[in-house]
Parts: sequence; C-alpha cells; structure tokens
Amino acid sequence: MCKHDKSKKHLLFPLLLLLVFLPSNLSAVSAEEIIQKMDELATFETSYSTGSIQTKDRFGTKTSTFNAWSQGESDSLIEFTSTAERGQKILRTKGSLYLFYPDAEELIRLQGAALRQSMLGSDISYEDMTEEKNTLDNYKAVLEGTEAFKDTMCYVITLTATTRSVAYPVQKLWIDTENYLVWKAQYSTAQGRLLKEMEVLSTLEAGGRVIASETRIEDKMKRDSHTYMRLDSLEVNPVLDKKIFTLENLTW
Amino acid sequence: MTTKLPRLAFRNIFRNLRRSILSAVAISVSALSIVMLFGLLDGMEIDMANNLQSYYTGEVRIRNVDYEKYERYNPLHLGVDWEAIAPILMDNPSVESATARISFPANMYIGENSQVVMGVGADFSTEEAFIDFPAILKEGRLPEQGKNEMLIGSAMARELNLSIGDKVTMLTTTAARGSNAITLQVVGIATFPVGSLNTNMFWAPLDRMQYFLRMEGLSQEILVLLKDGAKESLVAQEIHDEISQSLGIETDTRSWKDLNIMYSMLRIMKVAYYFVAIFFFLLGSTVIINTTMMVIFERMREIGTLSALGMQGSELTKLFLLEGFFISVIGSGVGVIIGMIGNYYLSKVGINFTDAMSGIDLEVSSIFYPQVNILKSFFIWLYAVVISSLATFIPSRRASKIEPVEALRYV
Repeated sequence: MCKHDKSKKHLLFPLLLLLVFLPSNLSAVSAEEIIQKMDELATFETSYSTGSIQTKDRFGTKTSTFNAWSQGESDSLIEFTSTAERGQKILRTKGSLYLFYPDAEELIRLQGAALRQSMLGSDISYEDMTEEKNTLDNYKAVLEGTEAFKDTMCYVITLTATTRSVAYPVQKLWIDTENYLVWKAQYSTAQGRLLKEMEVLSTLEAGGRVIASETRIEDKMKRDSHTYMRLDSLEVNPVLDKKIFTLENLTW
Repeated sequence: MTTKLPRLAFRNIFRNLRRSILSAVAISVSALSIVMLFGLLDGMEIDMANNLQSYYTGEVRIRNVDYEKYERYNPLHLGVDWEAIAPILMDNPSVESATARISFPANMYIGENSQVVMGVGADFSTEEAFIDFPAILKEGRLPEQGKNEMLIGSAMARELNLSIGDKVTMLTTTAARGSNAITLQVVGIATFPVGSLNTNMFWAPLDRMQYFLRMEGLSQEILVLLKDGAKESLVAQEIHDEISQSLGIETDTRSWKDLNIMYSMLRIMKVAYYFVAIFFFLLGSTVIINTTMMVIFERMREIGTLSALGMQGSELTKLFLLEGFFISVIGSGVGVIIGMIGNYYLSKVGINFTDAMSGIDLEVSSIFYPQVNILKSFFIWLYAVVISSLATFIPSRRASKIEPVEALRYV
C-alpha cells in the first residue's frame, strides 16, 4: 500500500510540473516564431496550382480561372484561362509586378498605389494575390493570446507595419496552433478602420502541409461584394523551368 | 404748344452739348455692355448646343435603362444592342442619322508613366453626321475599322510628346468586369473645340473597342440626330416606345435638353441677365437724372417765364422728359450699334479663352464666338430707352411743381 502511494507521488510530481509549465510553454512560442513558421509553411520551393476566383457583387457572379506557378518567397506567375481574360498573366518577381495582356505590345509594370487596385474586379488586389512571404521584414508581431476559431485553437497575432510600403498597416491573424494555417485575417488601417477580411472555408493537404483550398475575401471598401478563391489542385515542388519567372518568358 | 414741345426738347439737348453727350455716353456704355454680354451668351449657348449634340449626347441619346444608376462604376456590361436598334431608328421619319459610341476611362501607359484618359470607340463612317472630322483633323488621318489605331487631341499630343506613328498601351476595365490592355497607334491628331476633348480623349474604331472591352455587338450609347423641325423630347419618347415594342427592352432614351444641366443653367443664366440689365441701365440713367436735375436748376428763370406765359406743369414735365428721351434714344442707339459691330467683329475672330479655361471641364469651346442678333439688339435698345426715360421722369416732375412766382425770383 505504502509502495503504491510512493509510486503515485512519483507520478504526481511530473504531472504537476507539466501543468504548471504547460501554459508557459505554449506562450513561450514567440509571435515572431509563429509568423516565421506561418511564412515557411506557406512557401514552397516550387509549386503549381490551378484554381478559380469567383466574385459576387451588385452585378452578379463572375468566375475567372487560373493556373499559377510559384518559386520561393517572392516569385510567382499567374495565367488566367477563363474566356474573358484568357492569356493574361501577372508576374511577380522580387519587388516588381508586371501585367501581360495578349493585345498589348508592352508589359505594364504596376507600382505603388496601382498594386492595390482590384484584380479582375474582385475583392483581391494584385498585391494580395502575389504577396511575398517575408512578413517579418515589414511588420512587428505581437501575440495577443489564443482563441478558438471554428473549433480550432488559434494564436491571435497582431501585426503592425514597420514600413509604409505595405498595403495594410495593421493585420490581425488567427493562426492554427498546430499547422500554422491562417484561418482568419482582418486587415486594417493604422487608425483601426477595417479594410478587408479573409476567412478560410476549407483546406487541403499537400506536401505534408495544410493549405487553404477555399477562402472568402471581403473588401470592406466595396458594398455588397465578396470573393471566393478556390484551389482546385496543388502540386508541391514540381520541377519548373527557371525562365518561367523572367520578363522574356512572360510573352510566350 | 404741345406740338412744339418735341422740337423744343430736341433743341434744348444742344444748349449744353457736353452735358448731353455725357448723359448719352453713360446710356450708350450700358447698352453696349448688355448687347455684347447677350451676344457672348448667345454665342456660348449655340456653341454649347453644337458641342453637346456633336460630342456628348446627340439630339437624342439611348442608353441601357440601368446605366445611369451605376454610372460611377463604369458598368460597360449595361450596354445597348446597336445592331438591333439601328434599323428601328432608320425607320423613324424624324431621324436624320445615328451612331454608336463607347466611352470609357483608361490608364494610358507611356514607358513607366501612366495617365488617366477617356477613350471613345466610334464608327467614323456614321460619325460624319455628328463631327466634321476633316475640319478638325490637323495631322494624319482617321483610324480605320479593324485596326488598333487612334486619333488624339492636339493638346494631348503636345503634353505627352506623341506624334503620328507612336504607340501607347491602354489599360481599362472591361464589360466582363475584368481588366484588359491594348496597344494603339496614333494615326491622327485633331484640334477639338472643347478643352477636355483636346487634352485627355482618344478616339478608336468601334469594332476594336468592342473587342477590347468584351462588348461584341454592344455599345455604351447610341446618339441620334433629328431632321429639322423635329421636337427632340417627343421623338425621344417615340424612339423609346418603338424600341420597347420591337425588342421588348426598356431603354433610357432622352433628349439632349433633358440631359445637360449646364445647358439648362445657361438658359436660366440668360433670364437672370435680363435683371442684371435693368441695373446696368438704372446705373447709366443716374447720369441722365443728375443732368436733368442740373438743367432744371439752371433753367429756373426759363421755367418761371414759361409758366408765366401759361405753360402747364404737365407740359413742363413732358419737355424735360422728352429731353431725357431723346438723349436715351441717341445714347442707347449708338451703344447698341457699337455693340453689334463689336459682336460682328468678334464673331469672326473669336475671343480666345484657352488659357483661362484650361482645366475647366465645361462643354463650351475655348474660343468664344459672340453672335449678332438684330431683333434682340432692337429689344435691348427699346429696353434702354424705356428705363432711361422713366428714370428721367423723377426729376422732370419737379419742374411742374415750381411756382412761377418763385421761379421768377431768379430773374
């Protein structure tokens, strides 16, 4: 009996220790680490995906389909395949965004405020679509705590811009504590005015990571408008021709 | 005695010619100003009407019934079917000609720079009835259907350093609510009469713009010119009903006068200026009033003598009133004639407001051509004579109240 009690005490100590330290262990994960992990898991060495952008506004529903290629944290290419936009391409390389239109003899380079224009009339801006995955270069992160979002425990992190070159001065993110997927995001001005809201509706697994497969984006500056972005397929780390992300290759 | 009064009054004008001339000049300047002001306003009204009918709305404009509601969103998808509506218009006996246009905002890219411009997709063969392109074309030729070509204003060419043969890329939102870009070559440079058309507008073939904007077969609006004597608002209603019956669609079909606020404002302004004219003439009349009062004081001895000889007070009033009347007739007559000559001269050479109007988005030409209107000038003359003569009545009445005994004290 006594022996049994002793063994119980032995078990109780580490359990108490775990209970005391478990919350602090969780909070010990810094906001920077979470964001870094989030960026890492959202970045592929290379990827190829197909999907669609469906915009619902006062004039009805419009669907555009696309093929997209990405490489690392800053190179991406999107080619639209739907009839109205067939052949149009958006190329983002480090620091620059170019638009290719089949009937234009020159490429259009979008800069500054033009990057914040709506892409194909959707609630997504060119910058949103091709954003670089280097959040900590432009934002200071603060971990507000944890919160359940759709039965999933999430870190709630507020990002405050440290540069003026970003589209959203303040971002509030709900990041999955397990797979670091951003389930929800609110993008605001420095004064707290909500500009855009994003919510993940469904996910898929690719390359051992959980990726958003359907996202709802709502531009709060537009009335009666929201956009669904769907990934139909995602191929992780395919072998891509390095020329894909060059200007010379953009006109093929 | 009464029959001699006009002759006596006329002779009296020359007794102090310098003072009479001063009074006449005051009335003359007022009349001249009003004649020139109305000439200018008439010129502006005609010019605005021409520009609105040629470049903006035609005499009747047809649009999708919902277009205006969402106009600020550039809803090109709310177009009208030009091919279906054209035969209906041609069957209407009041319709002279019709053309389809697509107006849209675009970003013009030249190298790394971009500028917001307005594009117009137009069928240059049907546009002939609306715009005299050969007269305004300064360089090159008109764009041809099926080719990615454009015509630009001379101010735009100068500011952006564009010349014939240059290519620029336009980016815009399409009717599919996506974006699209096209490269157009400058083949013509024109000098449009309206400043804004000259500085930020380009014209390209309708078929290429329909393709570019994903509007195959559609146009944003249809402009209609009517035969002489046709009543715009009645024909607009007629066209609306015919389209509704034939195609089963509702359209926003309105006459140009119902569409243009500025034109209506100009017409209201003209009525307001008639009131302004009253003050002009009253101001001019103060000199006559003053002169008449001076004359009455100066001729007190004469008034006394005339009264003693039996001239009635009312006859004395008439005498001075007639003096004022003659001065008004001559003064306003000279003013109106000089004003008409001035307007005639300016109607030939024009008044150039190009610099003053730069940046003003108004549908009037930057060179104003005042109009000469004989009937209106006659009325202004009559108006000036009546107001000035009535103004003279105030001091003239004083002459009738002077007692002969009192007046003879001045002898």
